[in-house]
Amino acid sequence: MARKSTSTSWDHQYNTLRREDLFRNPPTDHTAYPLLQQAVNPHIESFDAVFTDGGLLTKGLADIGTRVFLDGDDRTPLESRNKLSIRYKSIQLQKSLLPPANKFATKREVLPAECRERHVSYRGKLSATFEYRINDGDPKEFTREIGLLPIMIKSSHCHLRGNSPAQLVARKEESEELGGYFIINGIEKIIRLLLLNRRNFPLAIYRPSFTNRGPAYTPFGIILRSVRPDETSQTNVLHYLNDGNVTFRFSWRKNEYLVPVMMVLKALVETNDREIFEGLVGSPDSKGIQNTFLTDRVELLLRTYKSYGVYTMAQTRAYLGEKFRPVLGVPDTLSNYEVGTEFLRRVVLVHLGNINVTEEQDSDKFRLLLLMIRKLYALVAGDCAVDNPDAVQNQEILLGGFLYGQIIKERLDELISSGLRLGFREYFRRAPSHTFTSDEFRKDFPIKIFQKTNEQVGNALEYFLSTGNLSSPSGLDLQQVSGFTVVAEKLNFLRFISHFRMVHRGSFFAQLKTTTVRKLLPESWGFLCPVHTPDGSPCGLLNHLAHKCKIMTGSVDATTIPQLAAELGVVDTSSAATDESVVVMLNGRILGWCKPSESRRIADTFRYWKVEGSHGIPLELEIGHVPASNGGSYPGIYMSAEPARMVRPTKYLPLEKEDFVGTLEQPYMTIACTEQEVVSGESTHVEFDPTNILSILANMTPFSDFNQSPRNMYQCQMGKQTMGTPATALAHRTDNKMYRLQTGQTPVVRSPLHNAYGFDNFPNGTNAVVAVISYTGYDMDDAMILNKSAHERGFGHGTIYKTKKYTLKEESRSKSTKNIEKLFGFAPGSTVKAWTQTMLDEDGLPPVGRAVQEGDIIFAYHTVSADYSGHLVNRDGVTKYEKYKDSEQAFIEEVRIIGSELGNEPAQTISIKFRVPRSPIIGDKFSSRHGQKGVCSQKWPAIDMPFSESGIQPDIIINPHAFPSRMTIGMFVESLAGKAGALHGLAQDSTPFRFDEENPAADYFGHQLMKAGYNYHGNEPMYSGITGQELAADIYIGVVYYQRLRHMVNDKYQVRTTGPVVATTGQPIKGRKRGGGIRVGEMERDALLAHGTAFLLQDRLLNCSDYTPTWVCRKCGSFLSVQPTVTPFGGKKKVVNTVRCRNCARRLDKISDAEVSKLKGEIWEDGQGNQWVGGEATTKVAVPGALKYLDVELAAMGVKLKYRVDSKDAIRKGRLIQKTPEGVGLNNRRLPALAAA
Amino acid sequence: MSREAYQIPTSQGNAPGAGTTLSRTFDLEGATMNYICGDCGFKFALRRSDTIRCKECGCRILYKERTKRMVQFEAR
Repeated sequence: MARKSTSTSWDHQYNTLRREDLFRNPPTDHTAYPLLQQAVNPHIESFDAVFTDGGLLTKGLADIGTRVFLDGDDRTPLESRNKLSIRYKSIQLQKSLLPPANKFATKREVLPAECRERHVSYRGKLSATFEYRINDGDPKEFTREIGLLPIMIKSSHCHLRGNSPAQLVARKEESEELGGYFIINGIEKIIRLLLLNRRNFPLAIYRPSFTNRGPAYTPFGIILRSVRPDETSQTNVLHYLNDGNVTFRFSWRKNEYLVPVMMVLKALVETNDREIFEGLVGSPDSKGIQNTFLTDRVELLLRTYKSYGVYTMAQTRAYLGEKFRPVLGVPDTLSNYEVGTEFLRRVVLVHLGNINVTEEQDSDKFRLLLLMIRKLYALVAGDCAVDNPDAVQNQEILLGGFLYGQIIKERLDELISSGLRLGFREYFRRAPSHTFTSDEFRKDFPIKIFQKTNEQVGNALEYFLSTGNLSSPSGLDLQQVSGFTVVAEKLNFLRFISHFRMVHRGSFFAQLKTTTVRKLLPESWGFLCPVHTPDGSPCGLLNHLAHKCKIMTGSVDATTIPQLAAELGVVDTSSAATDESVVVMLNGRILGWCKPSESRRIADTFRYWKVEGSHGIPLELEIGHVPASNGGSYPGIYMSAEPARMVRPTKYLPLEKEDFVGTLEQPYMTIACTEQEVVSGESTHVEFDPTNILSILANMTPFSDFNQSPRNMYQCQMGKQTMGTPATALAHRTDNKMYRLQTGQTPVVRSPLHNAYGFDNFPNGTNAVVAVISYTGYDMDDAMILNKSAHERGFGHGTIYKTKKYTLKEESRSKSTKNIEKLFGFAPGSTVKAWTQTMLDEDGLPPVGRAVQEGDIIFAYHTVSADYSGHLVNRDGVTKYEKYKDSEQAFIEEVRIIGSELGNEPAQTISIKFRVPRSPIIGDKFSSRHGQKGVCSQKWPAIDMPFSESGIQPDIIINPHAFPSRMTIGMFVESLAGKAGALHGLAQDSTPFRFDEENPAADYFGHQLMKAGYNYHGNEPMYSGITGQELAADIYIGVVYYQRLRHMVNDKYQVRTTGPVVATTGQPIKGRKRGGGIRVGEMERDALLAHGTAFLLQDRLLNCSDYTPTWVCRKCGSFLSVQPTVTPFGGKKKVVNTVRCRNCARRLDKISDAEVSKLKGEIWEDGQGNQWVGGEATTKVAVPGALKYLDVELAAMGVKLKYRVDSKDAIRKGRLIQKTPEGVGLNNRRLPALAAA
Repeated sequence: MSREAYQIPTSQGNAPGAGTTLSRTFDLEGATMNYICGDCGFKFALRRSDTIRCKECGCRILYKERTKRMVQFEAR
């Protein structure tokens, strides 16, 4: 019997049996949670777009084109040299397979789960087919492997593509495996989504830094980010100069170039000054001609260009070609004219024509350039407003797959141009007699020349993914070189899914001092979630997509548009006056012009047709109608059918059908929030649901519309730090650190989206009975009291899984075909203590299930070398051990022995998964879903907890003071709803914006409570658990979903009195890991001072820090001149008995009239056996070690410090007596004595 | 005997330390231990210097099976 198709519609109810069935019998048709897959799809689709037939890579290869190489000497004439032209024919990517050298495996495919478990990368073989011809001979082909390329999970080149949940489970994946990431060395990495300037749209910019380009430059400019069909981009900028001139700027291979815009115009088409003038201003009978501001400047533009003396298109192109020949790296065979054409092809408005540019395309470029100049002059004149590049309106998204494709393209370009050039140079240096036509070359060609070049395109991409660093000669028209990838942490499922919806503004903006880029702008409505952004340094730069926001990953078919536009009255003639004619553009190409009054009609007609699905207009087409205004944005109809746009569904009122709205068009539309807000004749659209503006995570906050908004932001952060359920395929995961909540529950209060996204598969917290009382005083200041019995029943019990990889091989980037030098296990013949034997199995590995403490042995190994027959033998008989270094007790959960890819090596690598149990203890952090976090302060015995009349005790007690200032009313409502839901056995719908003033939430849930026989308001009389007396006030008690956060005291506590110190100063070292101290800084010191706690201050700053008892000479006041005496009879005892000052003492053999009996004082001996007398005024003082260090440092600079131990040792005030004190050396006389107080 | 059943530690069994000697030397080839294939679940014995792959399917990940030693912890 065929099973029924898996249903994908969900309500907010528990659906216990349905979920149970889904979990026990994973569907064999399709997933029950399609929304989850849709959230990740932009990543996967963008990757697929690179490698499909005729995909981005194919287009990229066309752009790379044919490379021409010449043999022989540079000085020989071109005609006598042979020509070799080579191009990429195609690129093939294989799925991830075992190398053919492995003869053992029956299954050849390498699945992602194996890569995770073996800590390797999931990648497939990449090969390129080249086609070359020598001197216009017959083309020949050859194919070369160019490395192993990391493959995105669930992309078209992944084994998991199209697998049903049942198949995924069989392949050791989640039943809802989403893909969209890469596996690099066993770690899951994703390429971040980045916000970039909107493509093929002239942005009017005012940027003061433009003036730094040179004299006469003004802050006005037009930026157009032009995107080639292969998704690589080239930004073109027009600059306005003080005198009215305009320059064209572009950046090529990280260098900037400036060209007069007139030169580009003249090079594009065969034109004359009149045509340019009328193209900019309008025909002589138009209104534009009356704009003297414009006509003056255009005249100047035309006049100043005369100085170059190049007039025709051919002349201009040749001129440009001559100048840009060294920059573009073109073959010598091209003429200047051809180089100029190549320049226009590669640099100028590349979206309008990039390969085999036709005359028509050049004319498109010409017309767009004229529009850009027109907009620039309008901007300078104040006729049009600047466009905000920080608004999502003028932005699009750089998808991971597209970026990946761009990097591959650039690597391939490198390989065929500079890589191959080097190969040829090297070859002809060795064999100068060979030419392209010689027989030897024919034999050598692909193999010998490619040997020298670096063909590892795959490795470069793996480096990119593992570090996130972009090493590119062109910079890919991006503003940053690092931070492109992040680890997709599976801390809990919410965090994991958020990674795929994350959009970053670019790390360049993170350093910006101004906060304008971080602002929440109204343009973001419905595209970026207003709630879900972290606070702190990435605030506003790291946004998350609204859950209904969709990113286009391919172009939609808009081929009928130009014809339709013409039929609707779009004409070719125009005028600079925007009240006379406005532009109609499609994908950055000018279709024509129309009257401003007609533009609205045209846009509305297109929209009607698009939603209707008629006239071949696709639904996802963006029709940005910017109406003519007085000094507002430059008007026109800007249509776009291109990829990388953000679109979102709304309801189109005239047809009551779904319409997709883009970012550019939205600000000029009237979209009602709810049906009630629809204004007749004004609103064209209405939202399907007001919650569509929220991200997936923000939608999980119950009743978030009742909360103060920052609290919802905090919850979005804390939801991602919760100890939850990271995955269900836990046994096959090898994440470095994984947190797991043992007793996860489904929340009583949740929205339908909770089910639609399948979050019940990954529970993230526990429903807790929460009482809001100030009960023992242990709930002050955001502390919370945990019911000890709740804790004992498993409330919030968690586990940390740590996986460590241990390898006996030397890990190195280079080829690792090293011999085996070590093996696991005990060395044969070595004696092993019984104690170690209890810890390890016979194979030298730990038994699964064993408990390990700090310092325990976790495995044994020994060295081996190959004997004459190739057997590995141990020669030293020494067994070495690896120790467990963490301070916490753990259990061995899994031991994996990892074989080599070829299956021909003995055990060299193992991976051990440790399980650290973490039951909640005092100091662990918990939080409700309303940004109300707290620390467990006590586990209060159940008998002493307050109880209600029905005998219910709270699991958690929180303090009422947590509410007034934070205003998290949502938590009250959740408590109420949770209580009613628990009493009636219902799940409660907590979708925000469902209640209003007439139908308040408190009333709805209050009545439910009343029906269950409880107080309408949720308050209950309670009794003290200690005395049994009724509490004076009724207590607000209900059921709230609590999350346990991953911040636990066991990872944080830091205690010391003594411990490791810095050698130079004697002060405690930094860092919790190394047993260091916490700094008592300036402000802490001030506080202690202010309190007059001198003893405490001394204890912190001296006794527990660098307290050093030190000898000092009272007479000369020096630390440095004292030394212990050495008795010749003392032997090797190292007891310092007496310390003398060498400076104040006199050496016995230097005293001329040495008569021992007359000398005052005892004679002492130093280590060299010299006898001294005097210097007895030494004493022991306690000083900071840092002071002694300072003294030494200053002495090294020739500065002497003198210490006055007692006021009796003070230097006498008044006139300095010229008598040198006895024994004070030369040193003292020369330098001014410093008296340190 | 089923795999799950608890085996009483004996002096010559795979419970070192339970014997009389306090220390022991190991023979040349090392003891054989049982491992479980990560793919097909086949259980088989390997020596120390054997290549790491499943004897049935050639899988390159092997798991150690859970110890049959008595495992006893203080439950707190």
